[in-house]
Amino acid sequence: MDVLNRVVEPFHRGAPPEPQPATGFYTDTTVCIGCKACEVACKQWNQLPADGFTWLGDSYDNTGGLSATSWRHVKFIEQFPVDPTPAEAAAGADLIDPGRWLMMSDVCKHCVTAPCQQACPTGALIHTEFDNVYIQPDICNGCAYCVAACPFGVITRSALDGHAHKCTLCYDRQRDGLVPACAKACPTQSIQFGSISELRDRARERVARLHEQGIAGAYLYGDAPSTTYSELHSFYLLSDRPSVYGLPDAPFNPWLRMKGDYVRAAVCGLAAIAALLPMLLAR
Amino acid sequence: MPGLGASFGRGAATTYQQDLANSDCILFMGSNMAEAHPVGFRWPMKAKERGATLIHVDPRFTRTSALCDLHIGIRAGSDIAFLGGLVHYVLSHDRWFKEYVLHYTNAATILQEGFKDTEELGGLFSGYHGNRKTGTYDAREGRWGYVGTPAPEEHEEWRGATPMYQMLRHELGMHGHSIEQGAPCHSGPRHELMTMEGRRPVTDPTLQHPRCVYQILKRHFARYTPEFVSQVCGCSPEAMVRVAELLCANSGRDRTSAIVYALGWTQHTTGVQMIRTAGILQALLGNIGRPGGGIMAMRGHSTIQGSTDLATLYDALPGYLPQPCSDELHNNLESYVAHEGLATGYWANFRKFIVSLLKAWYGDAASWENDFRYSWLPRVDADYSHLPYFDRMAKGQVKGYFLFGQNPAGGAPNAGLHRAGLRKLDWLVVVDWFEIESAVFWKDDPTGPPPEQIGTEVFFLPAAAAPEKDGSLTNTQRLLQWHDKALDPPADCRSDAWILYNLGKRLKQLYAGSTEPRDQPLLQLTWDYEFDEHPRLPDGRRSRIEGEPDLEKVLMEINGFRLDDLDPRTGRPRLLREFSELEDDGTTACGCWIYSGVFPQPGRNRARERKRTGHPLEPEWGFAWPHNRRILYNRASADPEGRPWSERKKLIWWSEEQRRWVGLDEPDYDPNTRPDYEPPPGAQGMAAIAGTQPFIMKPDGVAWLYAPGGVRDGPLPVHYEPIESPVGNLLYPKQTGNPTVRTFEGPLNHLAHAPTTEYPVVATTFRLTEHYLSGPMSRFNSWLNELMPEMFVELSPELAAERGIVHGGWLTVRSARSSIAARAMVTRRLRPLLIEGRIVHQIGLPFHWAFAGEVVGANANDLTSIVADPNVSMHECKAFACQVAAGRLDGAAPSPTKSAAAWPTRDPVPDTPAAAQPEGMFGARNGRGD
Amino acid sequence: MHSGYADRTITKAPNWHGLVALDTLFNNMTTGLFLVAALGELAAPALFAEVARVAYPIALALLLADLVCLVLDLGDPLRFHHMLRVFKPTSPMSFGTWCLTVYALPLTVLGLLSILPTHTLDWLRRPAMILGLLPALGTAVYKGVLFSTTAQPGWKDARWLGGYLVTSALLLGAAQLLLLCGVTEQREAAGALRPTLELLLVLNAVILGLLIRDVRATLARAYESTRLSELALLVVGGGVLAPLYLLAVGRPIGLTVAVLLILLVALLVRRVIVRLPHLLPGGRGPGH
Repeated sequence: MDVLNRVVEPFHRGAPPEPQPATGFYTDTTVCIGCKACEVACKQWNQLPADGFTWLGDSYDNTGGLSATSWRHVKFIEQFPVDPTPAEAAAGADLIDPGRWLMMSDVCKHCVTAPCQQACPTGALIHTEFDNVYIQPDICNGCAYCVAACPFGVITRSALDGHAHKCTLCYDRQRDGLVPACAKACPTQSIQFGSISELRDRARERVARLHEQGIAGAYLYGDAPSTTYSELHSFYLLSDRPSVYGLPDAPFNPWLRMKGDYVRAAVCGLAAIAALLPMLLAR
Repeated sequence: MPGLGASFGRGAATTYQQDLANSDCILFMGSNMAEAHPVGFRWPMKAKERGATLIHVDPRFTRTSALCDLHIGIRAGSDIAFLGGLVHYVLSHDRWFKEYVLHYTNAATILQEGFKDTEELGGLFSGYHGNRKTGTYDAREGRWGYVGTPAPEEHEEWRGATPMYQMLRHELGMHGHSIEQGAPCHSGPRHELMTMEGRRPVTDPTLQHPRCVYQILKRHFARYTPEFVSQVCGCSPEAMVRVAELLCANSGRDRTSAIVYALGWTQHTTGVQMIRTAGILQALLGNIGRPGGGIMAMRGHSTIQGSTDLATLYDALPGYLPQPCSDELHNNLESYVAHEGLATGYWANFRKFIVSLLKAWYGDAASWENDFRYSWLPRVDADYSHLPYFDRMAKGQVKGYFLFGQNPAGGAPNAGLHRAGLRKLDWLVVVDWFEIESAVFWKDDPTGPPPEQIGTEVFFLPAAAAPEKDGSLTNTQRLLQWHDKALDPPADCRSDAWILYNLGKRLKQLYAGSTEPRDQPLLQLTWDYEFDEHPRLPDGRRSRIEGEPDLEKVLMEINGFRLDDLDPRTGRPRLLREFSELEDDGTTACGCWIYSGVFPQPGRNRARERKRTGHPLEPEWGFAWPHNRRILYNRASADPEGRPWSERKKLIWWSEEQRRWVGLDEPDYDPNTRPDYEPPPGAQGMAAIAGTQPFIMKPDGVAWLYAPGGVRDGPLPVHYEPIESPVGNLLYPKQTGNPTVRTFEGPLNHLAHAPTTEYPVVATTFRLTEHYLSGPMSRFNSWLNELMPEMFVELSPELAAERGIVHGGWLTVRSARSSIAARAMVTRRLRPLLIEGRIVHQIGLPFHWAFAGEVVGANANDLTSIVADPNVSMHECKAFACQVAAGRLDGAAPSPTKSAAAWPTRDPVPDTPAAAQPEGMFGARNGRGD
Repeated sequence: MHSGYADRTITKAPNWHGLVALDTLFNNMTTGLFLVAALGELAAPALFAEVARVAYPIALALLLADLVCLVLDLGDPLRFHHMLRVFKPTSPMSFGTWCLTVYALPLTVLGLLSILPTHTLDWLRRPAMILGLLPALGTAVYKGVLFSTTAQPGWKDARWLGGYLVTSALLLGAAQLLLLCGVTEQREAAGALRPTLELLLVLNAVILGLLIRDVRATLARAYESTRLSELALLVVGGGVLAPLYLLAVGRPIGLTVAVLLILLVALLVRRVIVRLPHLLPGGRGPGH
C-alpha cells in the first residue's frame, strides 16, 4: 500500500498557512569581507554535501557557482588598474588608483514574480507565507524546467536525488521565529534579514549615505521592479555593473514573451493546416 | 607581549575589539583582521560606517585591504622602518599630544650618563657582548637606567649572581613572559634600572636636557625620513606621509586612533620591537587608555591569551610570575621576591601573588615554616621554550612528549626538523580530534623514512570537541567566557581535562605511601575536583562519562579563597571578590591572581554571564581581567586634573561629590586616589603611584617611550633586516640583523644569512579565513575543504612572467631548508617593490596544508627556519628568503589520509526551539514585523 | 587573474539531451500524423479512411514512445504523476501535460478501434476525431513555446520555434501518412498528399529560416563556422531540396527516401536546438 500512498499523497492539500509580513535579504556588498561563513552556515544547517574539491583559482572562489547542493556562493572580482612599473609605484602611483576587490554573496533572488515558480508544472515551487520562493522537496519530480527558466542561474537539479534544490530562505528557521543561518553567521552584517519594507528603507538610506561620502557608483539592484522584471526579495547593494558580478544587467522575465510565442505558433499551425487544403479538397 | 608589557605594564591588548567602533582612524599592520578575525572585524566596519578611516599596511592586498580606505604595500620585515618613519614624522612636525606625553610618559625622564644609542655605535646599544651575529646586552653595563641608577661597580650585593644565573638571564629566552612581560637583560634586581632618588625619577619638564628621553628619541629616529622609509619598505614616501598625516589628524583631545596588529608583527626576530615602536607612536599621539584608541593585539587562538595567563609556558607561573630558576638568588622565597619584585606600582604586591599561588597548589602542606613549599616549585635550568626544545629533541635528547591539540609535525617553523625530532622520541602521546600529522608522521610523511626505521611509540588519545566539554576561553581582549558542555563526546573521546586529571590521579596512586622527599610535591598537590553530584547534560540526561573533573571547582581555585573564613552557605572557604584581598601570610589561596574576581560568590561564575545591558562596554558579558576592566590604563582617558580630554572621548573621570573615579569602565586605577595626590617620599607599592600616573604596573607610573628594562634587544626599537633577506641594512650597514637573536644552525636548520643572493625572493606566510593553522581543525571538514582545496602560492604577474609561471599552473619554492611545489595564484594583489633602487619580489604562502586530512598539500612550514628572538624565542616565519621556479617536484606527493564524508552526513537536523538563540543586530531589532 | 564574471554565461542549462530531442520528434510525429489523418478522414473519408485506420494505432504507439521519453528524462521518474497535481495553463509544461493527457484519450479510442475486429463502436470514431483535434494542436504547439519561454541563451530568442515545430509536426504527419499510403497501396490518397507535402516542406523551410535568424548569434557562439556550414548543407540540402526533388519525380523508392530524409533532418534540427545552451561555456553548474 506504500505504492498507493506514493500515488495519492502528493494530491493531498493542507490548509494554507496564515500570510505573514514579507521577509527577504538585503545584502550590502560594500561590507562583505568574503569570509564565506554564509556558505558554510547554509551547508551546515541544511546538511548539504560538499560539491567536490577542485581548485578553480578564480580569485578566492573555488566553488564556482550556486547549485542544488550549494545555496550560497561568494564571488570575488579583482579590479586593479593596468600595472604601474615599480618605479611608478614607488613614486606614488599606487595611491592614485589603488584598485579594489569586490566580494558578493550570491543566493536565490526570491523574485516576487519568479520565472521558476511560473514554470513549475507540479506545483512544487510556491511562494511561502513569508513571500519567499520555496521548492517543496517531496513534490518536485526533477523536470528541470525551473532550471531552464531562471535568469540568474540559481537552481540546478541534484545528481544525488534528481530533484531541484535551492535556498529556502531557511523556511524552517523562519517558522520557528529564527533568522536564516547565513544572516546569522555573517560577521559584518553584509547579509541582513528582516521585513522587506524595512530592509528597503535601510538600504536606500545606506546608498544615500555612500553617495554623500563620494562613492557615486553604489546602487541597489532588485529593490524595485523594472519594466521587464519584478522586484527581488533578495536584493543587493552593488558597486559596479551587475554583469561584473555575474548578474544580468537587465533581467528579463521569459513570460513576457509567452503569449506572443503561442500566437505565432498557432498562426503557423493554422497556416500548416491551410497547406493541407489540396489534400482535403481532393476527391 | 613583551613589547606591550615593556611599554605600558601588561603584555596584553590594551583595549577590546568592540571599542574599535569608536576609533576615528584604525591602522591595521602585521594583521589581516578581516580574514583572521572575521567576527571581530564587524567593529572596524562600524567605525567605517561612522566615518572612520581604515588603513592597511601589509605586503599583500588582502580581504582586509579590500575593506580599508588605503592600502600601502611594504616589504615583509620592514615594519620598524615604516613605524619609525611615523614616529619621526610625529616628532619632527611637532604633532605629539603634549599634555599627555609630558604627564603620562617618561619623555621627560633623564637617563644616566654613559648610555650610547645605535646611532653612535653603528647599530648597537652600549653594553653589548657578542659578535654582532648573536650576543646579549647587559643593561647595567650599558647604562640604560635612569639617572641615579648606581654604577655597576657600586652595587656589590647583586654581584653574587652565579654564572649560571647570569647566563640564564642574559642569554637564554627566559622570563620573557613574566611581570612586565619583558626579560630583564641584566642580573640585578628588576627595579634597579628605575631606581630613583626618593622613588621619583629625575625629569626635565622642558624636554631640553640632552639626556632626557624625548631628546634621545629624537636623535634615535632622526634618520627615519620618508625617503629612507621608501628605500627600505618599497612604498612611496608620499604613502608613508599620508598615513602619518591621517594618524596625526585623528589623535588628540577630540579624536583617537587605534592600531591593530597580529602575527604579522610578532613572528619576526624584531617582532617585540615592532610592537614597541607602535607603543611609542601611540603614546606620543596620546591614544593609550582612551576610547577608540589603544593597541589591539589580535591573538590568533581562541584561548591563547588564556594559555599565557595561566602560564602553560615553561618560564612563567600563572599570572605572569617568573618561574624560579636553579640559582642561589632564587633559593628561598624572600630572596626570590626581593630579586624579582618591584617596590612601587602594583607589582609591589608580588609576594601576595606567589604565596597565594603556593597555597592554592599545596594547600595545608604549605605554611610559613616551610616557606610555603616554595622549594617544591620546579626550577628552570635552561631554555625550554618550544624551538630550543625541539632542537634538543632532534639531537635525541628527549625521551617522551605529550601533545595536546598541537601539531608540530605540520605547523611548526621548520616542520622538517620537528618531524625529525618526533622520530627520535621513545614515546609520544597525541591528544586530538583527528589523526593529525603529528600522530601519523611515522607512516604518512612523504618526506620521511619508512616506519621500520622509526623507533617512536605513538599513542593516540581521541579528544572531545568544544561542545562536548565544559571550560572557559580567554580571548584576545582578556575576556573570559565560559562554555557549557552540550553533549557527551562519542565513544572513547575524552576532554583534555579528563585526561590530565585522571593521569594525575593515577600518578598519585602510583606513588602513594612514598616517603621520599622528591615524591612529596606530587603527593601533596591539591587535586580534588570531583563533581559533588554526577554531572547532567543541559537536557537533563545523566552524562555517561565517568571521572570528569568539575572545572568550575578549578575556576574557583583560580579565583581564590580566604582560607581562614568559611562561607556559611557552602561550608567551604569563602571565595575572594578581587585580588586586592590577597595576603602574603598564607591566609589566601589563589590559582591566578589576575583572574581573581571571576567567581566571587558561590554559584556566580562571571565568565558564564551573558547579560546584554545595552551599556556600550557590556560589562556583564563574561569577565575581563583584571577586575573586569575593558580598557587598560583608562586613567589616561582623563587629563591630569581628572576631567575627560573631551566630551566626545570621555571614559572615566574624577567625581568630587563621590570622591572616586566614575564613568563607563572599571577604573584601571585605585578608585579613591585623587588626581592631585602626590606620594610622600619613600612611599611603597600603590601608594607610590601619583594621581596623575595611569600606568600603575610601571614602577614610575608612566608609559615607557624608552624602556630601561624589560626588552632584551634594546631600550628602543631599531630597524634590522630579517635574518634571511636579500638586502642588507641600509640604516646600519655593519649590523644587518638583530644582534641578540639566537640561531640554531645545523644540518636540519640551514640559514641563508642576509644579504643573500641565492634566495632573492622575499617570502611571507599568511592565513586564509577558510582554514585554521596547519589544518587539524579544518582540513578534516568537507565544507571548509571545498572552499580552499589546494595549497597555492600568491605571486605578482611580473615575477610569474620572469619565471614562466602561469596562473593555475605549478611552481616550486625553494629555501635553505627544503623545497615545495604548489599551485600558482598569479595576482595583482602582490607587487614587486623598489628597494634601494632594485626590484625585489615577494610571494605569499598560506601555511594551512600538510600531509594528513581530507585534502592535503605541500607544507609552507617545511621552508621556514628556526631562529629565536631573544625575548620570547619567537621565530621569523613572516619574512624569510626563497627562490621560485616553474614546475613541480619529483617524488611522491601526499595523498589524503581520510576520505570525504558521505552524504547525508547525519540524521535530520532537529528542530530548534525558538527561545534558544537571541536574535537581532546588536541593539536593533531584526526580525519580522514587530 | 580575471576581470569578473562579465564574460560568462549566467544561466544554468537544464541538462536536457537526447531523450528530449527524441521527445520533440515523437511528439510532433504523433500529433502531426493524427492531425493529418483525422482531418483527411473528416474532410475526404473516401480517400483517407483506409490509411487513417492504419495511422491511428501508429500514432498511439508514437505517443506512448513520447511519454516514455518524457518520464525517463525526469530527475525522479517515479514521480511523473505529480505533473497532474496542478492545472496551470500559464506554465507551458503544465499546459502541455494536460494537452497530452486529453489528446491521449480520443487517440486511444481511435487506436483501439482500429485494431479491434468489431465495428459496433465505430460510431465513436467521428466524435473522437473531432475531440482530438484541438488537444493535438495544443500538444504540437506547446513544445516550442516551452523552450522559448526560458532564460536559456538561444532558446529565449527563438520566437519562431513554436511555429517551426508545429509546421514540422504537420510536415512529419503528412510524410508519415504518405509512407503509410505506400504501404497500404492507397495510390489516390498518396497522390492527393504529395502537393500538400511539397507545400508543407516549403512552409516549414520558411519558418526554419525565421528560426535560424532568431538564434544565429547563439549558433555562432556554439559552433565553429565550418561546422555550421556543414549543418546548413545537411538541413537545406537533405531536408528540403532533396525531398522536394524526390517528391516531384514521384517514384515510390524516391518517395520513401524523401520521407526518411525528412524524418532524419527533423531529428537533427531538434538535437541542435536542444543541445544549444549546453554547448556554451559555463552553462553547466558545478557538480555536473
